[in-house]
Amino acid sequence: MGYSTRERTSHVLRRLGMGAAAELAASLPGPEAAIAAALDLSEPPTTPPDMAAPPDRESARNDGDVETAFRYWLGRMAASPRLVEERLVWFWHDHFATSLRKVRVPYLMWQQHLTVRSLATGSFAELLHAIAVDPAMLLYLDGASNRRSAINENFGREVMELFTLGRGHYTEDDVVAAARAFSGWVVAVPGRLQAPNRVDPWTAVFLPFRHDGGSKTLLGVTGRLDAAAAIDVLLGHPATAEHVAAKLYGCLVGLPADEATRKRLGAAFRRDYSVMALVEAIVADPAFTSDAAVRARVRTPLERAIGIAQGFATSDRAGQALLRGLRTAGYVPWLPPNVAGFPAGERLLDPHRLIHGFDLATLADPRRLGRLGASGLFARLGVFDVDAATIDRVDRAGGPADRLALAVNAPEYLVA
Amino acid sequence: MTESCPLVTRRRFVQGLGATVAVVAAGRYGISVWGRDPAAAAPAPPPGSWPVPEERTLVVIEMGGGNDALNMVVPHQSAAYHDLRGGLAVADPIDLDGEVGLHPAMPGLAARYAAGGVAIVEGIGYPEPDLSHFASLSTWWSGQPGAVGATGWLGRWLDGAVGAGDPLAAIAIGPGPAPALAGDTSFAVTVQDAGGLSPGVPPWVDEPAELVAAWAGLAAAPMDSPGLLGRVRDAVAVTAAAHDRLAGAVGPAGDAPAPSRGSLASSLDVAARLVLSPDVSPAVLYVHGFGDFDTHQGQPNRHAALLGELDEALAAFLDTVAAGDAADRVLVMTASEFGRRAASNGGGTDHGTAAAHLVVGPAVAGGRHGQPVDLQHLDGRGNPAHTVDFRSVYATVLETWLSADPTAVLGATVEALPLLQSR
Repeated sequence: MGYSTRERTSHVLRRLGMGAAAELAASLPGPEAAIAAALDLSEPPTTPPDMAAPPDRESARNDGDVETAFRYWLGRMAASPRLVEERLVWFWHDHFATSLRKVRVPYLMWQQHLTVRSLATGSFAELLHAIAVDPAMLLYLDGASNRRSAINENFGREVMELFTLGRGHYTEDDVVAAARAFSGWVVAVPGRLQAPNRVDPWTAVFLPFRHDGGSKTLLGVTGRLDAAAAIDVLLGHPATAEHVAAKLYGCLVGLPADEATRKRLGAAFRRDYSVMALVEAIVADPAFTSDAAVRARVRTPLERAIGIAQGFATSDRAGQALLRGLRTAGYVPWLPPNVAGFPAGERLLDPHRLIHGFDLATLADPRRLGRLGASGLFARLGVFDVDAATIDRVDRAGGPADRLALAVNAPEYLVA
Repeated sequence: MTESCPLVTRRRFVQGLGATVAVVAAGRYGISVWGRDPAAAAPAPPPGSWPVPEERTLVVIEMGGGNDALNMVVPHQSAAYHDLRGGLAVADPIDLDGEVGLHPAMPGLAARYAAGGVAIVEGIGYPEPDLSHFASLSTWWSGQPGAVGATGWLGRWLDGAVGAGDPLAAIAIGPGPAPALAGDTSFAVTVQDAGGLSPGVPPWVDEPAELVAAWAGLAAAPMDSPGLLGRVRDAVAVTAAAHDRLAGAVGPAGDAPAPSRGSLASSLDVAARLVLSPDVSPAVLYVHGFGDFDTHQGQPNRHAALLGELDEALAAFLDTVAAGDAADRVLVMTASEFGRRAASNGGGTDHGTAAAHLVVGPAVAGGRHGQPVDLQHLDGRGNPAHTVDFRSVYATVLETWLSADPTAVLGATVEALPLLQSR
């Protein structure tokens, strides 16, 4: 059927960033320019806010810290000029899903976030090495209790099933071997740990006496593997590059990668694990801007909220309403439902999440509505090519506010 | 058939949803749903294959993460148990019969067991067990080991009961759709709390009462939109229709303080309201999102808290339905992707296989069923062999409680167990 240039431009911004801000979209002549704008990292990043290291575990649960962090992150998603960075920061958080519910220390979630943010557009290899000994991850997947005398398989299993190889490429013996290789790392919780002197609080510490230094065989590689060596083994396996490349392809294109694409992207990715080179290869695939890719994804509650914030929020109103709406939808950053990350795709079309899309509308500020009709509302949401019947029905709703509440729940806005 | 609730639309919706459990299992791990597998060998049972039972509700409680059943139904006389578990062994179980006891956090269920209202089924599992949460969940959801591409077991029951005819015949209570309810032609609504499907409408909306109807109007706009957009329209239409029917069925009632959202108490509070509601009569309620039973570490406190939550929430649920004169209408069963490793890992337990489960309600034949696992003969991974096929529990409730044909639902003939009193 063919989408308009404006819809295709929005499509590029929605996929490569976390939303299609109306002003930016309007300034771009077409999808090619949108790709260039979204991938442009020349604008320097802003400095994230500071968060003080809590003096002990008891004072570590500070909700104020959580709010500051969320506000910063969600603000970046809505307004950063470095679009692809925000897309990738979210992608990696979803990929290396870690939950505050179990970690319980906002400061550690924030440190992980800073790690992810600093490496999001860099090297996947570097990112994976960092995550393997990231303090929040050590608590979330129990690496911190994994020791020679009591091997804990949690991280060793999930790192292969979810973060690297994917199912079908490892055995239960590999799970045990990986777990042994990762043993010995702990988190320096102030006042709790008998660690060597001069360890910074809340950092990851390797304690040799807790590490299983014996020989192990992981994916056919035998040696006295430690955490770094085990990660290198995983990075060396072709399945890792293919799994991660195909997952990012699915996220950006909105369609599954076919076998040839998977192999091609994986082989290139494995050479140096450059994330931006992978993004560029995916974007260069004609599928990325094809009609089949446009509106092929269900817009996630987070993306819906970001779009509403971009179009209609004022800062004094957005914070609380946004968090409340995301909580109702089960889509709060740092609170993934499990280690597999946030739900995506058509399972987001469940009645609970659908109807509570009206809650998300609360973060819009009706003072910003003016006298916009349906077409104007959709344009501010970066949505074009809306069915005439939809426009007509939205226009017939009560007042401008009612039109807005309907527009952000219209089927055309629920896809992206 | 099509006047108030767009059934044709809904049928297109569920049939069009392409994401099967298998497809998603490849990418996002089996948490898909509503999907159908076009290549599935067995066709969906047509609606009317069996009746929707009147005044009977099956409540499934999924204990996500893998419940350590060995510390729930504790073989306290077993030397092997104490050897394997060491300091993690439950020291003071509530003895049931001199051989096993329930975890001390479960006094309510222990009392109910003594009164004959609890069936304990030991040794439940499946061959060639998979220790991945997501793969094992897919097996439990589908009810078809090795054929993870299929629909959910209760979704197929729903297909054969009502097809697309009633999205409230089965309801998922939890943070999203329940894959076990994924049907081929059928569709099951999801609710999360006592708000039912009532949105938090922004305070600045002029005509809040008109909003959902206007929204349904957007879904009805071009009747044959292809692809994802069409399926979204269908989902909106179903949701709006279910919103209207659920409006009186759940929602705040009385002065009792509402349990905190997301807790099992909250989910079972919703379940009780639905059972007692005169407006809807769901035959299946699937409660999920309960707990993080994945106790690799810090198990003693975490597990005790979870089992205590189960005990209290279940007691409240059964008391509420009994007070509403509906005790005989409910049968509760537990599910979980696997049990945990026989041996302690120091502070917890890693992923395991066979596990005991509970079936609770006035209709059960109380006591111990199945066969305890043999802790003296573990496999190479340190797990005991299962003694009972998990599908035999499904077959039992399908045949005896839901009056359906278990072979048609499960695609295999599986022996039922004498878990329910003959009636």
